[in-house]
Amino acid sequence: MLRQLQIHQLQVRFNGEQILNDLSFKVAPGELFAIIGPNGAGKSTLLKSILGLIHPQQGDVSILGDHRKVIVGYVPQSRVIDDETPISASDFVSLGQISGFLPWLSRKEKKALNEIMQFTDTKRLANKPIGTLSGGERQRVFLAQALVRKPDLLLLDESTANLDPEAQIQMMELVKNAAKEWGVTALFICHDLQMVGTYADQVLLLSRQGYKTGHPEDILHDRELMTTVFHGSSSENDTIHHVPTESELPLAGFPQ
Amino acid sequence: MFQYDFMQHAFIAGTLIAMMCGVIGVFIIARSLSFIAHTLSHIGFAGAAFSAYAGIDPLLGLLLFTIAGAVGVGQLGVRMYRRDASISVILSLALGLGILFLSLGNIQGNYSRTLLFGSVVGIDMQDIWQIVLITVFVLVVLAVGYRWLKFDSFDQVGAQSAGLPIRLISIGFLLLMAAATSVTVQIVGALLVFALMTVPAAAARFYTQSIFGMILISTLIAVLSVWFGLIAGYYTNAPISFFIVFFNAISYFFGMFFHRVRERRRVLAS
Repeated sequence: MLRQLQIHQLQVRFNGEQILNDLSFKVAPGELFAIIGPNGAGKSTLLKSILGLIHPQQGDVSILGDHRKVIVGYVPQSRVIDDETPISASDFVSLGQISGFLPWLSRKEKKALNEIMQFTDTKRLANKPIGTLSGGERQRVFLAQALVRKPDLLLLDESTANLDPEAQIQMMELVKNAAKEWGVTALFICHDLQMVGTYADQVLLLSRQGYKTGHPEDILHDRELMTTVFHGSSSENDTIHHVPTESELPLAGFPQ
Repeated sequence: MFQYDFMQHAFIAGTLIAMMCGVIGVFIIARSLSFIAHTLSHIGFAGAAFSAYAGIDPLLGLLLFTIAGAVGVGQLGVRMYRRDASISVILSLALGLGILFLSLGNIQGNYSRTLLFGSVVGIDMQDIWQIVLITVFVLVVLAVGYRWLKFDSFDQVGAQSAGLPIRLISIGFLLLMAAATSVTVQIVGALLVFALMTVPAAAARFYTQSIFGMILISTLIAVLSVWFGLIAGYYTNAPISFFIVFFNAISYFFGMFFHRVRERRRVLAS
């Protein structure tokens, strides 16, 4: 059964600073959900809260559906790869296969590994040391590792940021196909608004002053809103005077 | 050579310890804990010296001190402990304590030499059973926790985001290192534990890109180095530790050369 992600009145404070305030939204199963906003808006904090790496002061993250354990895949912008320990791409992908107790992979797990490497076009890189791969190849290997357990939820934290346009498209196509084929719900942080317009089903625009969710066209084509958020007069360190609620949307928290 | 009981015991004990060091070493290298292994062996030296002073079993003192050391590192946080200054302070303190206990116990120079450089001559059946017990324990725990440990050692970001208990894995691994160090110190000595635990694993990285392959090659190098050390030591009367380290160093430099040649070929081919 496909699952819905629900963020309810999430509040995260870090080093005495309010990063997320009363954030609520829902992401439908199999949806590609983009998170955009200026630096320091709390985009990565939001993903870390969903991953459970940051504990919110208030509110909760829930995944509605059956009672199976929720599997979350995560692809960061970059990873520190020790070139002194040159493990192969296939070994790196299979690191994600953590559910078995035996040290070796079962036939079923080998099949899953093979399938995911074919799906992400990393099969031909299988025996290459991960340190020798290009940026785009590495990100596809990281994506394969995140997908190898067939996650319910896939979180991508600016994972296309350092890639050339072709590699960015390849990566997003893979995410789109994973959502279509397996119903993976994907949340991705992205600064490339063209990419957001092409691939996202829904967008969350996040800033220290508030947030807005909606269809990409509604958000991205709202020139005034986008200008205020990305080049606005409000400093990122301004205190939050007004926290929008869902009923106040679509333009809550931003000058109208 | 094998007609002597002490050589039989040395081969059994040395082989078991080498297998354990070969396996655990791959994770020590991947987790960048080489110098923590070095520090633990010096803490072990202090523990063994304390045992001699207090008149208790050397393994007990070694385990007590190294486990306390591992828990301490776990509490302080591995990242803080990796700092040069912290390592220098703890390492010197452990050495100082070892010397203090040796002096307080009025212990002979031979025993101090054994603690620092190891000895295979005095291994009896009781020692072998202790080594079997600890080696089997360490290898079984590593096998059971293999997938989690592998993930956390080679990709900590991925392991954390997959919800693995990385702090538990970190402390658990330090405790395994403490147990492994305790038995290894008795054979190769506090100063050379570092060599047997890290050099075979460091060399193995040059020969293969597979994690399981690294474990196999690292174990093979460690076992062969101990066998070479025992045989060469037997026939030359020179310290076996020298031959063990020499074999490991050759494996490492040969591996480095092999790796460079392969990389050059790869670059030329592409």
